[in-house]
Amino acid sequence: WKKEEFRNCDQTPFCKRARSRKPQHCKLIATDVAIANGDLTAKLITPKNFQENADEDSSEIASKPLILSLSVYQNGILRLKIDEDPSQNPPKKRFEVPDVVLPEFESKKLWLQRHTKEVIKGDSADSFVVYLFDGYEAVLRSDPLEVFVREQGSGNRVLSFNSYGLFDFEQLRVKKEGDDWEERFRSHTDSRPYGPQSISFDISFHGADFVYGIPEHATTLSLKPTNGPGIEQSEPYRLFNLDVFEYLPESPFGLYGSIPFMLSHGKSHGTSGFFWLNAAEMQIDVLAPGWDANSSITLPSDQKRIDTLWMSEAGIIDSFFFIGPKPKDVAKQYATVTGTSAMPQLFATGYHQCRWNYRDEEDVKNVDSKFDEHDIPYDVLWLDIEHTNGKRYFTWDRVLFPNPEEMQKDLASRGRKMVTIVDPHIKRDEGYHIHKEASRNGYYVKDSSGKDYDGWCWPGSSSYIDMVNPEIRSWWADKFGYTEYIGSTPSLYIWNDMNEPSVFNGPEVTMPRDALHYGNVEHRELHNAYGYYFHMATADGLLKREEGKDRPFVLSRAFFPGTQRYGTVWTGDNTADWEQLRVSVPMILTLGITGITFSGADVGGFFGNPDTELLVRWYQVAAYLPFFRGHAHHDTKRREPWLFGERNTELMREAIRVRYTLLPYFYTLFREANVSGVPVVRPLWMEFPNDESTFNNDEAFMVGNGLLVQGVYTEHAKDASVYLPGDETWYDLRNGNAYKGGKTQKVDASGSIPVFQKSGTIIPRKDRFRRSTAQMENDPYTLVIAVDSSGKAEGELYIDDGKSYEFKNRAYIHRRFLFSNGKLTSVNLATATSAGPKYLSDCTIERIILLGHSSKPKSARIEPDDHVTEVELGPLQIRTGVRPSVLTIRKPNVRVSDDWSIQLL
Amino acid sequence: ENLLGVAPQDKEHYKGLSSSGTIKCKDGSKTFTKSQLNDDFCDCSDGTDEPGTSACPTGKFYCQNLGHSPLSIFSSRVNDGICDCCDGSDEYNGKIKCKNTCWEAGKVARDRLKKKIATFQEGVVIRKREVEEAKVSLAKDEAELSRLKNEEGILKGLVQQLKDRKDQIEKVEEKERLQKEKEKKEAEEARLKEQKSEEKVQESEESNSDNDNVAKIHDESPSDEDINKSPEDIGVESTHNDDEIESHDNIEEYEHAEKNEEPSKVEHENDPSHDSINKEEENSESLSREELGRTIGSRWTGKKTEEENEDVGASKKHDDHDHDHDHDDTHDEEYSGYDTETEEDHHNYDDDDTEEDHTDDIKHDDSTTSHKYESDDEIDMSDMETTSNPSWLEKIQQTVKNFLQSVNPFQTPVDISEAENIRKDYDDASGKLSKIQQRITSLTKKLGHDFGPEKEFHALYGRCFEIKENKYVYKVCPFKEATQVEGHSTTTLGQWEKFEESYKVMVFSNGDKCWNGPYRSLTVRLRCGSKVEVADIDEPSRCEYSALLTTPALCQEGRLKELQDKLEAVKLEIPQGHDEL
Repeated sequence: WKKEEFRNCDQTPFCKRARSRKPQHCKLIATDVAIANGDLTAKLITPKNFQENADEDSSEIASKPLILSLSVYQNGILRLKIDEDPSQNPPKKRFEVPDVVLPEFESKKLWLQRHTKEVIKGDSADSFVVYLFDGYEAVLRSDPLEVFVREQGSGNRVLSFNSYGLFDFEQLRVKKEGDDWEERFRSHTDSRPYGPQSISFDISFHGADFVYGIPEHATTLSLKPTNGPGIEQSEPYRLFNLDVFEYLPESPFGLYGSIPFMLSHGKSHGTSGFFWLNAAEMQIDVLAPGWDANSSITLPSDQKRIDTLWMSEAGIIDSFFFIGPKPKDVAKQYATVTGTSAMPQLFATGYHQCRWNYRDEEDVKNVDSKFDEHDIPYDVLWLDIEHTNGKRYFTWDRVLFPNPEEMQKDLASRGRKMVTIVDPHIKRDEGYHIHKEASRNGYYVKDSSGKDYDGWCWPGSSSYIDMVNPEIRSWWADKFGYTEYIGSTPSLYIWNDMNEPSVFNGPEVTMPRDALHYGNVEHRELHNAYGYYFHMATADGLLKREEGKDRPFVLSRAFFPGTQRYGTVWTGDNTADWEQLRVSVPMILTLGITGITFSGADVGGFFGNPDTELLVRWYQVAAYLPFFRGHAHHDTKRREPWLFGERNTELMREAIRVRYTLLPYFYTLFREANVSGVPVVRPLWMEFPNDESTFNNDEAFMVGNGLLVQGVYTEHAKDASVYLPGDETWYDLRNGNAYKGGKTQKVDASGSIPVFQKSGTIIPRKDRFRRSTAQMENDPYTLVIAVDSSGKAEGELYIDDGKSYEFKNRAYIHRRFLFSNGKLTSVNLATATSAGPKYLSDCTIERIILLGHSSKPKSARIEPDDHVTEVELGPLQIRTGVRPSVLTIRKPNVRVSDDWSIQLL
Repeated sequence: ENLLGVAPQDKEHYKGLSSSGTIKCKDGSKTFTKSQLNDDFCDCSDGTDEPGTSACPTGKFYCQNLGHSPLSIFSSRVNDGICDCCDGSDEYNGKIKCKNTCWEAGKVARDRLKKKIATFQEGVVIRKREVEEAKVSLAKDEAELSRLKNEEGILKGLVQQLKDRKDQIEKVEEKERLQKEKEKKEAEEARLKEQKSEEKVQESEESNSDNDNVAKIHDESPSDEDINKSPEDIGVESTHNDDEIESHDNIEEYEHAEKNEEPSKVEHENDPSHDSINKEEENSESLSREELGRTIGSRWTGKKTEEENEDVGASKKHDDHDHDHDHDDTHDEEYSGYDTETEEDHHNYDDDDTEEDHTDDIKHDDSTTSHKYESDDEIDMSDMETTSNPSWLEKIQQTVKNFLQSVNPFQTPVDISEAENIRKDYDDASGKLSKIQQRITSLTKKLGHDFGPEKEFHALYGRCFEIKENKYVYKVCPFKEATQVEGHSTTTLGQWEKFEESYKVMVFSNGDKCWNGPYRSLTVRLRCGSKVEVADIDEPSRCEYSALLTTPALCQEGRLKELQDKLEAVKLEIPQGHDEL
């Protein structure tokens, strides 16, 4: 990591200015408060007496009024917008990020009819109160300016804006003589033709013990304070998409993607969230308690509170307050605005094998066949940049890959897919068709002088497609057609890398901020969203090539709010060490709670050679994380799972196989995420919001509501200490041992990592092994029932064709399994219509395992067939040497698509 | 009973099912009944009860493959929609129809086996001959060595005598010389005093011209590079090359500057003054946009651009035999040191179970060539071809004797021609001694090599084998080194280290260092072949090469016998009506 190559806050004028401001800096007051178009609107003005007293820093005193609007949406969402007043003819329209907020979100708006007025004690002016949600209201306080959400009745605040008066909005001005707006960093000069235009403000999370979110940072799940008493020196959390070489764990520095969405959680309120839709560079301080000691402000609450300072270089305030109060409520509220994650194809949930680079067709064939030779399932083989002809994407190095179609077809004959890389930098080569078209059509991002921006990346001199323009995105999408992308077949999917964008010779290894996009938008205004639009265009391309029938799979390194609708992300170029294995878990959990559930980290670590134990541990943890891909830098030794001796092959095979057995569960969870926005893997506090011991735990995580996974992040670990939350019983899935919740347990971790099933849940598995997901389609299921103290359990199973969009036409099977009083019932959750398409499956349930059932039944009766089957002891996992130890209903052979019940006798 | 998927040798285990009705799983974990056999539900965790289905994950399915060889496949392949057995027996649930391809596949396999046997037969003969030759040659070497050691002893004595004699003469000569010197001295001294002031001026001039020389060398270095290129290369590649070197400097400069290291550490010729922060600005500013792009990009690639695959070090080195000698020596010293390390590092990318089955598929690449290398033991002994002739030593002994008798050492002035003769004889004799000693060293080294249990690898000693792949020529010289040659530049892939896996693999290690990577190494897998040829070369991980070499040394008679037995067995299995043999 080259610290000096990246700007810190002190080198970033807007950040330095904002950070140095003191509470009560903001003098704005709200006037002309009214209901208009169903919103509560107001003008923000600086009272006369302050304008006259404008100090030397005159830029900070707005001369013109700002426009504020508050809108209310269904299910507890408040939207606050503040922008310059268009009627005052500002020099330029400030950038509002398009294509992130779902189009249908507007239809969820509650049209405000009225507001009530009240005077907050000590105020000289009115506050205006509007309805927000059952039990919640939003308040606009006019002087001093403040916006907050509070509980009705108790009056307890939930979230508040500008409670400390740190709000500042640098309005666009016409450049006057003597204004020096240029900014220099290292050898780069930013011309800043529009001058200062930053925005900053404080947000307080009331009733919060911790705050989370705002990826991407290689750091802990709960965000440590970055400023205030006891914090010696820390940068704010930076949101600026950057290609950081050899990033370090434990750093607030910005990485590849940015989601300006923060959640808070605490014992007293529960969960709330704040999302600022803004694509410019952002810096966020989490303020340590007592930071405000010298201000005269006391917030009217004795609740625990976390204050934060948000700073952005440009754009407007378009922000969303989510009231929660349960963790999953906030996830759903955020998804209401930005969308839920796309339903992945089943293959994408399996194991992926990547390397920079699998060199040629023979190499591919060899690696592929070794998986079969060692009976290790995998679904996708990846090709990095070297497969192309000189880093010209959509082309092949025909010496190394003379027959790409054949190669893909061969993989496809065993149900496997291939992924190739397509990056946004285009080689400036007149003989390259993409460059020719893009330059002819003016599809490139321009430099500040209006010429095609010429940067440097893998291919050498390169230009960058301007993905912000829908027309250009559509052109790009067409490039994925089979007749355009020569050598592609329907089993080929795509990987978007370097889309921060990475520019080797640009400032901070990215594009200059004064580069120009479609609509005369400066790069500074949309930097963080560039990779998102690129990802979107690529996903649309895969959709187009199959006429909207095949779900795209596109992995992206850069991301932004909304990315979840287009594909998958990974945590970029990590390193093969234990710390990075550890930090991968909070990084992925953070992505999950901020909407991007389908994410993962390179197994083994991209840079460097993992020692064998680390590699094995990495497989063991990553097998439970949503996106599961092994990848390695080209300077590293080969590290495919069979290269480390029989015992280690066995351990890695086992890790991958466990993932495959759990795919029915994962797929069901992906569907849940697709419907609700609740992530597949969750921080413990999301499932146990009242258990304070979980709030800060980022070594363990939940897969759905049923499995708790504890990673092992140290060498030579023989056992692991696992905190099992709640007061239910937990079952070690390796041996069926029962543990009481609410305690830290020490369990064996010598050959595997501890994984527990929570009592009260039912988890569907497929225990047969195959080469890849494709061959598992007709295999029978196993249900694992962990009975709770009242003898009950429940779980779900979702199945569809695993690839098309027919599920949107209700062509799927969705069952709920209920166990109670010794009887298991399968209930239909799908609302299939008699007319539409159906998803049919002959799959049966071959085995039902009961954990924690008190009696010892000998048989079970199956209805409606009225036949009796045996109940006996069987193994929890079918592995050589595992003794039968758990109650097993043998061969019920009921169909998953049917209604049935099984009564233990 | 339904013994689908059971191998013939396992049938015995299932006998109990018909007699007693239940049997145990092989691992003893449980018992199961006849009705549980192949009922598509896994009762035995080891798969005993489900040999014919996919129900038990650890099971194996046996296909008979009449017309070809039987096969045991993973249970995960049963009814998975993919035909794995050539007789199609693994796909029986009706979802897919598999054609029986055993006859065709079997024929191909048998033909391959026959070809392989033929290769072995040929190889076995050659191997036998080579083993014999090795014995003779090694015995000869041993004999030569012991004779040389004997001669060395005698010669050492003679040389010592001649030296003593020479020294005596020279002592006398020295005396005479000193006498003359003394006479001159006084006159000299007087003159020196006069010149003193003049010299001072000269001195300072000299040091100036030294500086000029240094500067000149710097200026000339790029063209030195060019000299090593063929004229057409210079036009095309020289700019690249310059860039590369330049950028390398830049990287260093860059990093040094950033780390704010002490100025003393920064040795950049253009920039003696070094002020940390200002310097940093200057440096990055001094980089052109392109250079900056290349520099940053090279962090990930560890190289300049994708075309220039090879590191800077490689292009600097050219064929240089002296260098090789040095290398060998250090290498031998370190030998035991990295022995184990390499073993650990050795990775089984090509961990090839199918081993020799591929032998017949090896493409006989026309570009593969072999030649003898000028090994370090090839010292020119032509003037000593008499080594086999004992009279040579006697002759020289006689000469010495004569000299010693005829010359009177104390005679002054010394007889000049006599003195010259002594000196010449001394030079001749000591020259011969050192040649003999070199020969002894190289023979000892050669005989110290492990040529295999039957010395079957002796035939590879002193030879190199080449293969051309794309723009590179790879040269494998067993017991010496392996290199990759591109044009005039040679990169060492490894120095000979040892055999591994009971003489199935040759290891060359500690080659040139990769930029940002490990020291290069090469693993050569050996196969039976009638000729010695490099059949394949590959770089599975960066700078870790693997090659395949065919050699008669691997054509053991025992293996031939096994293959012949296998063919006989296969012949017996061929169903009636198909008699190809």
